[in-house]
Amino acid sequence: MDIAPYLLQLFSGLSRAMVLFLLSAGLSLIFGVMNILNFAHATLWLISGYVTYSLFTFLSEQFGASPWMLLPAIAGAVALMSLAGFALERFLIRHTYERELPEQLLLTFALVLILGDVIKLVWGLENRRINLGVEPMEMFDTLVNPYQFVIIGTGVAVGAGLWYFLHRTRFGKIVRAAVYSRSMVSALGIRIPVIYSMVFALGVGLAALASGVFLPLLPMSLGMDLDIIVQCFAVVVIGGFGSMLGTFVASIIVGVVYSFSILFWPDGALAMIFLILIAVLIWRPWGLFGTELRS
Amino acid sequence: MIVLFALVPWLPGEFWTHVGTEILIFGLFAMSFNLLYGYMGQISFGHAAFFGIGAYATAMLFTALKTSAGDIGVAEFLLSLLAGPPVAAAAALFIGFFCVRLTGIYFAMLTLAFGEMLFYIVFSWYSFTKGDDGIQGLLPPAFFQDSDNFYYFTLAIVILALFVMWRITESPFGLTLRTLRDNQRRAAFLGTNVKAHMLANFVIAGTFAGLAGALWGPFSRSVNPGLLGWGESGIAVFMTLIGGAGAFIGPIVGSVIYTMLQAVVKMYTIYWPLTIGSVILVIVLFAPGGILGIVERRLRAARPEGGTNGGDPVAGAGETESRQ
Repeated sequence: MDIAPYLLQLFSGLSRAMVLFLLSAGLSLIFGVMNILNFAHATLWLISGYVTYSLFTFLSEQFGASPWMLLPAIAGAVALMSLAGFALERFLIRHTYERELPEQLLLTFALVLILGDVIKLVWGLENRRINLGVEPMEMFDTLVNPYQFVIIGTGVAVGAGLWYFLHRTRFGKIVRAAVYSRSMVSALGIRIPVIYSMVFALGVGLAALASGVFLPLLPMSLGMDLDIIVQCFAVVVIGGFGSMLGTFVASIIVGVVYSFSILFWPDGALAMIFLILIAVLIWRPWGLFGTELRS
Repeated sequence: MIVLFALVPWLPGEFWTHVGTEILIFGLFAMSFNLLYGYMGQISFGHAAFFGIGAYATAMLFTALKTSAGDIGVAEFLLSLLAGPPVAAAAALFIGFFCVRLTGIYFAMLTLAFGEMLFYIVFSWYSFTKGDDGIQGLLPPAFFQDSDNFYYFTLAIVILALFVMWRITESPFGLTLRTLRDNQRRAAFLGTNVKAHMLANFVIAGTFAGLAGALWGPFSRSVNPGLLGWGESGIAVFMTLIGGAGAFIGPIVGSVIYTMLQAVVKMYTIYWPLTIGSVILVIVLFAPGGILGIVERRLRAARPEGGTNGGDPVAGAGETESRQ
């Protein structure tokens, strides 16, 4: 049996999975801590893709074209978007904590519509892509885009870093405690509103990182955020709200299942993902790694 | 309000008659969504699945019945319209069987998942549904091609449907649904079969969504997979929250505002999402309860003591939902 095409699908599935993971990790954190399901998460991801593109172009013009210019561009975009996320929470999202779920969803969905048009206003209708000029590499008797390994490596590294942050640092422990009981954390004298803004900024920063590493692989185009956000919802629910390990595993399931389904049913590959989501919701609504507590 | 609707075709030009028909069809769709949201307290992100299934069922029967020249008789046309609601009801029975086991965000996610799965199935099953080409050429009989006639036809169906809906929401069944919305656990203690009531309501809502979908095909002369997508479900949510989920006719009011605004804004700019996004933002931040919510608060302020007799069947939809 020739395994080369399957390996190709595996690598592209895993790199897709890592982008989904970076996005869903932020989504899951924000939901865990603030109980806000942020519809606009993927739209912020899309915007930061355009921002990264513009920074990359600017830096290349100023200091000469080089693939390495992507690194400062991503760093800049992550910083900018984290700040934007901080401000967004501080001035807008904060006003909806006491509201019902549908109103919160509606507010973040309004942001999807507004920010989508902002992209159209600022960057126009063209797709944006960064070409790093990476040569395909010969592996397993076939050609593989080695950049995929950069994405996979980044995803795993960030996952490990996030785990370390949440379990070994003081701030991370506060965040985890806030997932369980906001009032208790608050009673211990920790300023919850600051935690909220920081977590939101962190989530948006992760999304910015995801779009930065994603740019050389696929072009950013308008409307992409809508496809991605429902897949992120699928990942977060399959893995279980608030479980970082669950989000990681679910990202891999969704990414790999998608890229293999494409071989057999090109237009319907996403239907497979929703089929898994339906199965999980019926069998264990709290997700593969979640606890029943919060359901 | 009915009188106002009846007068629409007198406005100059066909444009507003078209907009009026759209208002009615989407208003009916949003009303059916509000059976789940306003009366049962659950938010569905996949309600367009039933709108789309109704539209496709009608479109397919329509295509099968029309002659090779593309004409269709009045009887065949009405028969194809009748196909929409029962097929949508059957789909709602199947999907609802699973969905009513969950509440809150999980209910929303499962409805979203079913809706999206159906969207991709319709989108990719080319031999059966014509995929993303959609089904074209749904030209109704000559009488219904006249936009005024089709408008009155739609108006009659929608009024009838709303009357039935109103009877349902005011019946003991409707009252039980509100109990489920306000306190599901207590309703269960009182011996209510919670899941059976939720499922029945899910099927009713799906049936009316299917009826709206059935009307949509002959109105727009075509159907496409987008009708099942979550963007379409979102429209029902928007209309309901703009108008106000707390009043029976809230979704219709929302549909009037949303559809007219869309018709006008799209004449001047391509930035319709930006416009409607800003409107929603303002409503969520400053006018929770929608337009009718504002009206109602004004009325309350005008006569402070008379709080019991107001036509406010669903005040505070979901407000009592406790969050942890």
